[in-house]
Amino acid sequence: MSIIREHTQTTLSDAWRTIDIDALDPDSAPNFDTSTLHPPQPEITEAEVRQLTTQVRQLLRGGDAEGALRGCLDMPVYNGSDGVKEMAMGLVVEVLQSIKASEMVPVLRGVGEGVGGGERVDVLMKYLYKGMAAASSSSGASSAPRTPTRVTPQQTGFSQMGPRPGASAESTGAAMSVLLSWHEKAVEVAGLGCIGRVMTDWRKV
Amino acid sequence: MAAPEVHHLFHNPIADHSFSADHSTLAIARDTTVELYGRAGSAFKLQDELKGHDKTVTSIDIAPNSGRIVSCSQDRNALVWEPTPQGYKPTLVLLRINRAATFVRWSPSETKFAVGSGDRLIAVCYFEPENDWWVSKHLKKPIRSTVTTLAWHPNSVLLAAGSTDAHARVFSSFIKGVDPRPDPTAWGERLPFNTVCGEYMNNSAGWVHSVAFSPSGDALAFAAHDSSITVVYPSAPDQPPRAVVSVNTQLLPFMSLIWNGEAEIIAAGYDCEAFRFRGSVDGWELSSAVAAKGREGHGDQREESALNMFKQMDLKGKVKDDTQLKTVHQNTVTMIRPYEHSNGVVRKFSSSGVDGRIVIWTV
Repeated sequence: MSIIREHTQTTLSDAWRTIDIDALDPDSAPNFDTSTLHPPQPEITEAEVRQLTTQVRQLLRGGDAEGALRGCLDMPVYNGSDGVKEMAMGLVVEVLQSIKASEMVPVLRGVGEGVGGGERVDVLMKYLYKGMAAASSSSGASSAPRTPTRVTPQQTGFSQMGPRPGASAESTGAAMSVLLSWHEKAVEVAGLGCIGRVMTDWRKV
Repeated sequence: MAAPEVHHLFHNPIADHSFSADHSTLAIARDTTVELYGRAGSAFKLQDELKGHDKTVTSIDIAPNSGRIVSCSQDRNALVWEPTPQGYKPTLVLLRINRAATFVRWSPSETKFAVGSGDRLIAVCYFEPENDWWVSKHLKKPIRSTVTTLAWHPNSVLLAAGSTDAHARVFSSFIKGVDPRPDPTAWGERLPFNTVCGEYMNNSAGWVHSVAFSPSGDALAFAAHDSSITVVYPSAPDQPPRAVVSVNTQLLPFMSLIWNGEAEIIAAGYDCEAFRFRGSVDGWELSSAVAAKGREGHGDQREESALNMFKQMDLKGKVKDDTQLKTVHQNTVTMIRPYEHSNGVVRKFSSSGVDGRIVIWTV
């Protein structure tokens, strides 16, 4: 008891509680590169994405939308430069836009079948979330010169919330509606677990 | 299948529960206390409150033979409660950790227990009679994040741990003088303390919620936050495993899983109900839910009168009350444990949830 009484008011303050002790520990999470915990993903170059783009466009011209989507999702860009990732994202959106609303569910079911089918739908979901994030961030800065993914309006059954000022806002709204309707169908086919995996997964597209 | 036995104890979350071997006592981790319930007829009645922690109690375990209770808490302490004729006597265990203790389990031999913590380590504790003292030794490398769950191998030496760094690991917790030399297994032959016998993760690397050894100890299953369960079959020491089977489900993530024999796993979690997985080294798949869903108004009898109907319409603008889930648990299931089992085959298991319910299920 006597020791406690000898403490002055300053030593009894709570200031010590705010010291970030993790900064002093060399093994703590902030001082540790978490990316070393996971096996590295193979790097995908621009040439590979270009090659994929020509193949996918060929399939699209041939009317094989399912094969085109399958091709995109079999080669997710987990490790690549930002430019390559944007190219891959743009390609996925291009394929998604070319598929009619009535064909969404059959295409999704087809893509989800076979070896690694579940994985493909998970990858699609990752692209959808990335697309939605990009669309909302570009609508926040409408004067930004670079729009990451150019999406043109398409009839999807989603009604717009009335006219909005500014053409760019309108186009991002349309982009969002494409992605949202795909999101709805993907959840229908692959369940809520699919969304959980997008949020958990360390491999980002 | 018999209807599940539902006990709605209170309206607080239950972090962990444990039955004594004769099923007469039920220990519950509720806030900062450990509550002991005794069976009175078909219900459970509060008998004793063990107060010793000053932060949330995170995990609790009753040793089946000795009847000792071990509890751990966010106050970074573990307490061993010794049953005496005057009631339970607590002994503080020095864990030497500076983050919350998250999970505790007795080894099958009951001479040791392991405590997982947010300090990126596991404290393996054993009793030293010379000093009349529980001593802890740390399993530290190569854990990179909070240990969320632990499971013991039947030989009481191997310990599986799941962590938020997305790895499930198998360690040796061999302590000289406490453990007899273990027989060699597929996990390892010579097992000094802190041998890492295996490190596993699944493709999407979700953090691990639950781990469990199969009854023989020759397979390890873990549930991760990517709504998957993964089963690992080791081949030989220092060799890559024979098979690692991952099942991604369409459901929400599982918080807890147990083995039922070598070919079935029961898992429950955020979907508020338990599911069966069946399989072998060649592959696993989700087979079915343990209980059939859709019995309306389960547990609570609702008044079905005209007066009640108009009252509902007046108050809520609708006739039907759809605030109830169709599952027995009305919120996330936090823990499932075998209740009645023999030779690794589970006949009944118990589950606890965030809704304050304890349910005993017939498999």
